[in-house]
Amino acid sequence: MSFDYVGFAIAFTTVYGIYSMLGVSLNLEYGYAGQPNFGQVLFYAIGAYVAGTIAANLLPMLAGVATGNICDVSSLVQREAIAIADPVISVSVWVLALIFSMAAGGIIGLVVSYPALRVKEEWFLSMILLVAGEMFRIFVQNTQQVGCGFNGLAGIVNPLNWIEKYFPGSQVLQAEVPSGLYAGIVLALAIACFLIAQRIGNSPYGRLLKSIRDDKVASESLGKDVSKVRKQIMIIGSIMAGLAGALYVYYIGTAVTDDYIPAVTFSIWVMMILGGYANNRGLLVGAFVITMLDRGSLVLGVLMEGWFPNFNPSLLIYARYMVESVVLILLLVFRQKGLFPETRIKTKAYTLFDFGASKAQGKKEPVTESLTEGSKQGEVQSNQVATDSSLVDSDTSGGSSRTK
Amino acid sequence: MSDEDSILALEGISRSFGGVRAVDGVSLSIKRGSIAGLIGPNGSGKSTLFNIISGVEKKNSGSIAFQGVRLDNLSPHKRFALGLGRTFQTPRLFTGMTVLENTMTGGKGQKGESPFNAPFPGRWEPQEMEIAKQAKSQMTSLEIEKLFGSHSNEISGGQMKLLQLSTVLMGRPKLLLLDEPTAGVAPRLAQDIFQSISQERVENATTFFIIEHRLQVLFRHVDTVFVMHQGRIIASGKPDEIVKKQNVIDAYLGS
Ligand SMILES: Nc1ncnc2c1ncn2[C@@H]1O[C@H](COP(=O)(O)OP(=O)(O)OP(=O)(O)O)[C@@H](O)[C@H]1O
Ligand SMILES: [Mg+2]
Repeated sequence: MSFDYVGFAIAFTTVYGIYSMLGVSLNLEYGYAGQPNFGQVLFYAIGAYVAGTIAANLLPMLAGVATGNICDVSSLVQREAIAIADPVISVSVWVLALIFSMAAGGIIGLVVSYPALRVKEEWFLSMILLVAGEMFRIFVQNTQQVGCGFNGLAGIVNPLNWIEKYFPGSQVLQAEVPSGLYAGIVLALAIACFLIAQRIGNSPYGRLLKSIRDDKVASESLGKDVSKVRKQIMIIGSIMAGLAGALYVYYIGTAVTDDYIPAVTFSIWVMMILGGYANNRGLLVGAFVITMLDRGSLVLGVLMEGWFPNFNPSLLIYARYMVESVVLILLLVFRQKGLFPETRIKTKAYTLFDFGASKAQGKKEPVTESLTEGSKQGEVQSNQVATDSSLVDSDTSGGSSRTK
Repeated sequence: MSDEDSILALEGISRSFGGVRAVDGVSLSIKRGSIAGLIGPNGSGKSTLFNIISGVEKKNSGSIAFQGVRLDNLSPHKRFALGLGRTFQTPRLFTGMTVLENTMTGGKGQKGESPFNAPFPGRWEPQEMEIAKQAKSQMTSLEIEKLFGSHSNEISGGQMKLLQLSTVLMGRPKLLLLDEPTAGVAPRLAQDIFQSISQERVENATTFFIIEHRLQVLFRHVDTVFVMHQGRIIASGKPDEIVKKQNVIDAYLGS
């Protein structure tokens, strides 16, 4: 049995893009803003089901055929045929599905942030979200009318499948060109999310988020509308998670509740803790590791099945979660800040300061003309040690001067 | 005192924790442009009073007027927007951020604090540089500018106090409540802090209300002192008058 390297690379890229998106989203919510979202999978699932439902209804509608029951096999065959036959309908439905999934994610993010803002304790929000994610899954699983219940909503095919008609001679190319292009699109959208997160992180808004994360009372006392910002970041994060869900369902072809178990949230947390809180680059590394585990366990399962006919491949799926748990425990014990610690908020403000004076973390950026005065001042101080403790006592000596 | 002279007027402020009346019917008025002190033994309710004025803690009764505006149930961030700043007795810093980032967080009305502007540096960078310059001179006058890149949990307790002050001053408050600004700070720097406070008052017409246990330094700079004991204001006046009052001496001796 030969290994399909191209197929593996395409699947890897797609899953990596989707995981990165989910991770970037959680990192904005928790790494930056300190809002622990234990129900990330809820927004992912909502994105997937909204996209699936829109695709299943709109494809026949735009093609001018009766929709019927979207859960029927005949309906499934019909929409797969439309997606292959009509590029315009196929792509525009896909674009609409993505937009509506993002909107749905954002709206649900806003809605769930309301109860959370009633209480000061953000762990309350995480519990609500954890439960809400499970409730949504169980509800869908047992409700035929929503996403076809337990059986799942199938036939949400790659929006680029019509490309296959340009490769009549090769079945391999018929499959790999559309899925390869789709993987590229997913990766591009993931990079877009990453860049947005980077820009948000390295801006005054990034400072605002971290101030709320580090001390809500102090932030509020400095004029920051903490409730508003917490709401905003839940919306932004949920939009990204909704998008990830839509991209996933179009990749995997079927919306089934088993794909939205709490373990998904767990994996996203592990990639964030692994890469480093509030470090988007680190997060990409964490997402890579988790994608390796995810894809690796699947591939190994298939290979093992070939070698040992009695092997049960789902053992490796469980093993994957075991490995993730072990990684998490090791991190929490030995490296709580993750592999890549949080960095400075890199705005131009630092150009006024001389990095020679203290341990430089980032590159020194070119100083613009208007700032030369500031930089000269910095140079004068550059030989002195950063921490001049002679000016300041420790806490204890100050305490002794108190009136008792 | 007429309404125009008074920047802050408290009327019958009370607050209990369980059975303890931490603040018990406090009424006072702070003159615009003055430096007022608040002293009193440990546990007399000074910090609680500041928490109530800044909105961090709720009051059970009473009213607060700031520049003629009733604050009552306004949230802390709105009070800050009106020009009411504060520091905390135990410094509350943003520990995941550097000294510079902490200080810059205090800047008011930052365009880049909107998620719609944040991804577009062109929209906020000019203002960012203005705030950075202000932060640099602020940090320099408080002698913490060399720490700009240190995380705020890596600096000494005294430096934390200074950083808090530096941060809140960035918002150019009209009234600044300082809860023990020199606790944990070396004597010489304590002098300097009060020098900066006096200077800030002259330059930006900032009014100060300061809780302080270092009475000598405090008395050299304040116009008025309020003495708090068991939740009540038991005396107020000029420093030299205050020290002669028998009930103040008694309160401090713990009778
Ligand atoms: N959140 C709270 N819960 C319960 N009791 C409190 C709380 N905050 C303050 N107290 C109590 O209220 C009283 C006044 O405390 P407060 O901190 O205002 O005193 P203080 O004058 O600032 O003292 P210090 O000089 O030690 O800072 C004390 O008895 C304190 O124990
Ligand atoms: Mg106190």
